[in-house]
Amino acid sequence: MMRLKKTISLLFLLMTVLLLFVGCSNSESSSDGNNGEGAESDNEGAFEVTYATTSDAAGLSPIDTNDSVSSNVTYQVYETLFKQNPDTLEPEPLLADSYENPDENTWVIKLKEDIEFHDGTPFNAEAVKYTFDQLKDPERAAPRASLLAPVESIEVQDEYTVVLKTKEPYGPMLAALSHTNAAIVSPEADKEGDINKEPVGTGPFVFESWEEGNQITLKRNENYWQEPAAIEKVTYKIVPETSTAISMLETGEVQFIDQIPSDHINRIESLQGIEVQKTEGTRVSYLGFNMEKEPFNDLKFRQAVAYGVNQEAYVSQLNDLGVYSESIIGPKVFGYDEEAKSAGYEFNPEKAKQMIKENGYEGQEITLLAANRDNYLKMAEIVQSQLSDMGLNVSIETMEWASFLDVARKGDFDMTFLGWANSTADGSELLYPNLHSDNIGASNRVRFDNSEFNQLVDESRTSVDQEVRKEKLHEANLLAIETAPWVVMSHGVVTLGYDESIEGLVVDPTGMWSLYPVTRK
Amino acid sequence: MIGMIVRRILQLTFLLLGISFLVFMSMHLAPGDPATVIGGPNATSSDLEAIRDKMGLDRPVLVQYFDYLGGILQGDFGYSYQTNQAVTEAIITRFPTTVKLAVASMVVAVLIGIIAGIISARKQNSWVDVTSTTFALVGVSIPNFWLGTILILIFSVNFQLLPVGGLNSPFYTFEGMKELILPAITLGTASAALIARMTRSSMLEVIRSDYIRTAKAKGVRKRPLIWVHTLKNAMIPVLTIIGINFGSLLGGTIVTEQVFAINGIGRLMIDAIAARDFPIVQGTVLLIAAIFVVVNLIVDIIYTLIDPRISYD
Repeated sequence: MMRLKKTISLLFLLMTVLLLFVGCSNSESSSDGNNGEGAESDNEGAFEVTYATTSDAAGLSPIDTNDSVSSNVTYQVYETLFKQNPDTLEPEPLLADSYENPDENTWVIKLKEDIEFHDGTPFNAEAVKYTFDQLKDPERAAPRASLLAPVESIEVQDEYTVVLKTKEPYGPMLAALSHTNAAIVSPEADKEGDINKEPVGTGPFVFESWEEGNQITLKRNENYWQEPAAIEKVTYKIVPETSTAISMLETGEVQFIDQIPSDHINRIESLQGIEVQKTEGTRVSYLGFNMEKEPFNDLKFRQAVAYGVNQEAYVSQLNDLGVYSESIIGPKVFGYDEEAKSAGYEFNPEKAKQMIKENGYEGQEITLLAANRDNYLKMAEIVQSQLSDMGLNVSIETMEWASFLDVARKGDFDMTFLGWANSTADGSELLYPNLHSDNIGASNRVRFDNSEFNQLVDESRTSVDQEVRKEKLHEANLLAIETAPWVVMSHGVVTLGYDESIEGLVVDPTGMWSLYPVTRK
Repeated sequence: MIGMIVRRILQLTFLLLGISFLVFMSMHLAPGDPATVIGGPNATSSDLEAIRDKMGLDRPVLVQYFDYLGGILQGDFGYSYQTNQAVTEAIITRFPTTVKLAVASMVVAVLIGIIAGIISARKQNSWVDVTSTTFALVGVSIPNFWLGTILILIFSVNFQLLPVGGLNSPFYTFEGMKELILPAITLGTASAALIARMTRSSMLEVIRSDYIRTAKAKGVRKRPLIWVHTLKNAMIPVLTIIGINFGSLLGGTIVTEQVFAINGIGRLMIDAIAARDFPIVQGTVLLIAAIFVVVNLIVDIIYTLIDPRISYD
């Protein structure tokens, strides 16, 4: 009896000590990073907004990161020289004031004056030069160094004029300068601290705190060079499960979410007090052939598959979160032309079957490689059944994302599915990385190598005349559709689900949104 | 006893060394390159080379392993590839949250499990017993993520009684307790069911033993008979289950933390695996392995307290 009592009291003691330890250490950690818990959306309190994101940011420096979650934060804190107008898809000056091209290889950019970084240091030509030098520095190994790869030198002409010189004419320059990863950072802050942890830019929101794995908070920049934002505080809350995030939206714990998966969209649309925004986006998803392997390198085989795949059947399962077009360059991307919409191979199962038979591919064994995320498995299942109907012998191999990226890069597959976000909304930035032979072994996963195509893409990149660029991109697009290294599965639709009390939140076709114009109803 | 503890701690060191080697090798030899994940889908070959070079991933795997081991001996577990945060710091900030969740779940599991088990055993084959064993079966079978989602929908969304996610307030505050309830039930249910089944069968075995019959014959009253003579002896297998379960609870936090948006070790580990953030994966796996071993050691020590016949010397 005595012994049992002893045991029980020992257990109790152990638990109490453990709980006390946990309680104390946790209250410390929550008091420094987590003041003002829970966003208020009522009309009396400060205007605070909480957004649920599925994963944490990799970092908060535009130079050192390249993921959409990080961009969502850096987009509010930093600014770029130019910004793409979502309606016209044309870049417009933001931190830049104007620009001119004295010759095809020179970009003289005048900057806006009297703008300060959040740390009080001035924004000027030196800051632009510093940022771009860092982005290009091999030591720093910036993941998007390729954005400015064609730039040979960055020179400061005077306090507010910077001159970029390229080796050869670089057409997508303005699109590259509009990219979130080309945003201008405070040189002082970068030299003295770690802007990947404590970002310092010129944007409408100032970094406040980052509790890694839990949340990031920003507050309004009271000294913004334009009117200060209406929102006083923004919290990015990390909620890995979409269904949990939707529940939080419903209970008011968060005010908005984005990138809603197609199997959750119906639930959100049925919620009271929640608005849903759906906009045609720049993302394209495709079925890709391994162009270095038989029989996938045979045009006849690819054509047969293109005839046999019914994309409408796939798109109809996306609950309106996909648009079908045969064009590789999507309707919201620079370089698109209506003509490309139906330039591909229209669904024709009979013809597909006949072509497979005629060319002796009946019973051909094929493995479809699909990553187990987004909608890739759904695509694989639909394509599997359609190709089986044509007389091919199809199996699916699924893989977790990191393994998939590695295997796909090495070209170790027959046919696979992938998407491209197209974050600059410029056709050159779609065709060059994905289908130009320069990028075989990296982002050109299908290993497409076509000299005529390469030349057209090169011309679209080296011309600074936007009309010429558009024409070249259209030609390259038609050629790629016809040669069919890719069969387009769908073009994306970007989404937002938000509390009806907020107004002015708009998602761009690239999936980005700015909190600057957001107000309360 | 002391000898046993020293021996076990020595074993622990070798065990962790072995685990570190296995984890390191399996992470490095498995497909998936951290540089591809960091670089993102649009990184070019030269971008990837530069990233690999910067992180030292281009060196032979064994060299990398001994380098890592050398670091550990100096208390340096490396830095996250993704965020560049020190691994120890990443773990220390999240560990208390996971322990809080695991302990709370264990409390739920032990309370519900033992009480249900005792009642079932005492009223064997009654409707109470049937109900409780049915619940135990269901409890073991329900997947955590499903239970969590359903609990959120019922208690947070429909009745708006409890918050949907996060564990941000200290556990002794009202807010903190409210935050803990749903995750603790989600994580603790399967263990509660196991403990209930084990308590029931173990109690039934002991109740039928000779000394209990003798005690009954000598006129020991019902209450002390159950609570002192039977329960104490029936506790040994239950304790084993509790010990082993504490380890699997730490593993179970992976799913529960995901569903309830809790920033703990489980989520740190799963995110790191997805991103091939090797240093973080190694650090968290080593930690969980160490806890598993230590908890088992504690259970072994408690055995001797409950049953003096058990001795390790």
